[in-house]
Amino acid sequence: MARAIRRVVVLGANGAMGAGSGAVFAAAGIPTTFLARTRDKAAAGRTRAEQLVKSTAIGALISVGSYEEDLAREVAAADLVFEAVSEDIAIKRDFFAWVDSVRKPDSIIATVSSGLSIAAMCADCSESFRRHFLGWHFFNPPTVIVGCELIPHAGTDPAVLAFSRELMAGPLGREVVETADTPAFAGNRVGFKVLNEVAQLAEIHGVAYMDALIGPHTGRAMPPLATVDFVGWDVHQAIVDNLHAHTADEAHAAFHLPAYMQRLIAAGHLGNKTPDRGGFFRTEGKGKTATRLVLDPARGEYIPLAPVALPPFVDAMKTMLRVGRYREAMDVMCAAEGTAADLMRQVVLGYVSYGLNRVGEVVAKARDVDRIMGFGFNWAPPSVLVDAIGPRRVVGLLERARLPVPRVIIDVAERSLPLFVEPDVDRGRFFFA
Amino acid sequence: MTQPIYILGGHQTDFARNWTKEGKHISAMMREAVQGALEATGVEPREIEVGHVGNFAAELYAMQGHLGAFLVDIDPAFQGLPTGRHEAACASGSIALLAASAELEAGRYGCALVVGVEQMKTVSPATGGDFLGTAAWYEVEAKGVEFPFPKLFGRLGDEYERRYGLKDEHLAHISAVNYANAKRNPRAQTRTWYMSEAHACGEDAYNSKIGGRIKISDCSQVTDGAVAVILATAPFAAAWAARRGIALADVPRLTGWGHRTAALRFDDKVAASAGSPYVLPHTRTAITDAYRRAGIADCWALDGIETHDCFTTSEYMAIDHFGLTAPGEAWKAIEERVIDFDGKLPINPSGGLIGAGHPVGATGVRQLLDCALQVSGKAGRYQVARKHKRFAMLNIGGSGTTSCVFVVEA
Repeated sequence: MARAIRRVVVLGANGAMGAGSGAVFAAAGIPTTFLARTRDKAAAGRTRAEQLVKSTAIGALISVGSYEEDLAREVAAADLVFEAVSEDIAIKRDFFAWVDSVRKPDSIIATVSSGLSIAAMCADCSESFRRHFLGWHFFNPPTVIVGCELIPHAGTDPAVLAFSRELMAGPLGREVVETADTPAFAGNRVGFKVLNEVAQLAEIHGVAYMDALIGPHTGRAMPPLATVDFVGWDVHQAIVDNLHAHTADEAHAAFHLPAYMQRLIAAGHLGNKTPDRGGFFRTEGKGKTATRLVLDPARGEYIPLAPVALPPFVDAMKTMLRVGRYREAMDVMCAAEGTAADLMRQVVLGYVSYGLNRVGEVVAKARDVDRIMGFGFNWAPPSVLVDAIGPRRVVGLLERARLPVPRVIIDVAERSLPLFVEPDVDRGRFFFA
Repeated sequence: MTQPIYILGGHQTDFARNWTKEGKHISAMMREAVQGALEATGVEPREIEVGHVGNFAAELYAMQGHLGAFLVDIDPAFQGLPTGRHEAACASGSIALLAASAELEAGRYGCALVVGVEQMKTVSPATGGDFLGTAAWYEVEAKGVEFPFPKLFGRLGDEYERRYGLKDEHLAHISAVNYANAKRNPRAQTRTWYMSEAHACGEDAYNSKIGGRIKISDCSQVTDGAVAVILATAPFAAAWAARRGIALADVPRLTGWGHRTAALRFDDKVAASAGSPYVLPHTRTAITDAYRRAGIADCWALDGIETHDCFTTSEYMAIDHFGLTAPGEAWKAIEERVIDFDGKLPINPSGGLIGAGHPVGATGVRQLLDCALQVSGKAGRYQVARKHKRFAMLNIGGSGTTSCVFVVEA
């Protein structure tokens, strides 16, 4: 019998990922039940979903309830149970045990976890549960960011995986990348390597300087440390700690959370979600009198944010990017001399090297890394940078920087082919002036 | 036409992009569109003999005029290229196409580059709405009016209501179809947005009325975008096709055009149409002119239409003006699902201006490129059935003022 999703239950529907993912299901016309600890919290999630898709009409497809009163009945009737509770494996396991005891035998259970082990999450569950269990990692907010990861564990039924892929790429409008069940999967592994590396470098060179140097002109919508503030320092810590503990690759040191971040997290500095304490940045006051402050990592104190003096090559890059001369901008970056240029290349080429070196380990193809970094992070995919710089030149620069040269770059350098092969995607959208 | 003008191909930028957020100048958009068109067609830059740019109001949105000159910057081979810029509000792109095709028909050149471009997200919606008011008679119809164009096209609906009756649920279906079609189009602005017939029919905080009967769901979008196409004469196209290993007969070509302008003021247009069964008779004439020049009897010789749905009311108008129904009976084509993606005569498989987006000066060129992709079977997930290998497009400037129609076939 052909599988169909006629009813979805979202667990943790009051959170950003729960409400946002629930909005995606309901927007596709699938009746969806939002569950949370209380009915009121679930209703708040529904309001959030309406805000995300800018329509109250979608609310007609969303019913709400609490775990205690409604979970057993709703899960028993659901074809898909989408778990978006706290990113804590113990809490998730408790929910999965409960779901396992009441679910229909053929329902799919998906977790939105951003990097916990899929296999470990379901290890104590029934055989049927494990066959129907896999990761559907959406990015926040899922109504806007269409890139997502699909993560089977060794016991996931291939038919469930195939069905999930079709549903996500079709009615749910996702750009799907399948990854191995390795820590933080593909996007966060590659992305948080860069973010944490910049956070480490900020201790030496300063927060404002690093965020300005590795700014949008290096191929990202948002500067890296502003991104960490946006994501939340607690989430950042959970991801890099997991990676540091469970990976042992060429970037292992880059996953070590800086001690200054550790101290500040303990003192309640979690980024934008704690506006009074702040993260790398903090805003004091409101409106015209608002002052933007920046963290001094050495002292753990905030000082007024002043304009950062960068060497002229950065402005030259921006000038080229503004008029759409992307190759020329990359040429400026590659040819520039001095500490700032070395630092920029270390981070940008380090990203290219680390990202494309995950091919064969986390993902099957370079295209997978490109898709998740482009559609999930809104960063220039590594292959877009390789094509803009030129693969031969990238090989030379990587060798000079003593960074691993991914096999896929050597292949295209030998055959003079473009590495970025995604159809219907403007390369230029990833370059910001 | 004295001879068919071939459409070798082109490129559309992703209409979901916000080029102001990317920190880009309007010339970057032109560069990407042109480089994409050269890449898509394999035409060498040195083979381009003339460049025409369609743009409505870069002076207002981007403080930049003289856009033709930016073409020269794109490739060293473009040094000295003759260029110019054309303006007729939202029909600017079509005027550039008419100028280029006329030069080719006249035998002045063998190969022409046409670029439509508009950068609109540089200003707030209210300021942008005021700028768009200059496509109407600004002092008379737009000055001091918040969002003048939804109001003007709301009155087009009111005129239908007065003459024939009009139900808003029919307009809602037009909106829902355009949004649904856009989900198939990888370059459509709204491809990830939520829309449903229930939402389009309803009125809530997110779908309020902004001008008469026009709600947000009835409107096209504020869009940044550029589209470039490369047009050629038969001799140039024949050599190019031979080089590419394709049959000339498979290369899409312009076979008919229509171009009519009515009075600028909306009231004057309505007054002038008092005795006509058509609410915008000059638009009907532009369509029949194009049919006649293309040698076709009516809309049933087409596989589909890309029309100017700046608002749902303008697509409602297009349905009877193209002849899908008798005047005033467009609702029948809507109820019978004729205009749906898999209908008898699909309208806007791309998503149109409502779904794909409406970068004003680029729209006509985008419509032509989509017609060319459709008739040559290259429209990907938004490809409709090719029975006649023929499409038509209608591009309108102002409140139904300048009407440009092209028939494209392969």
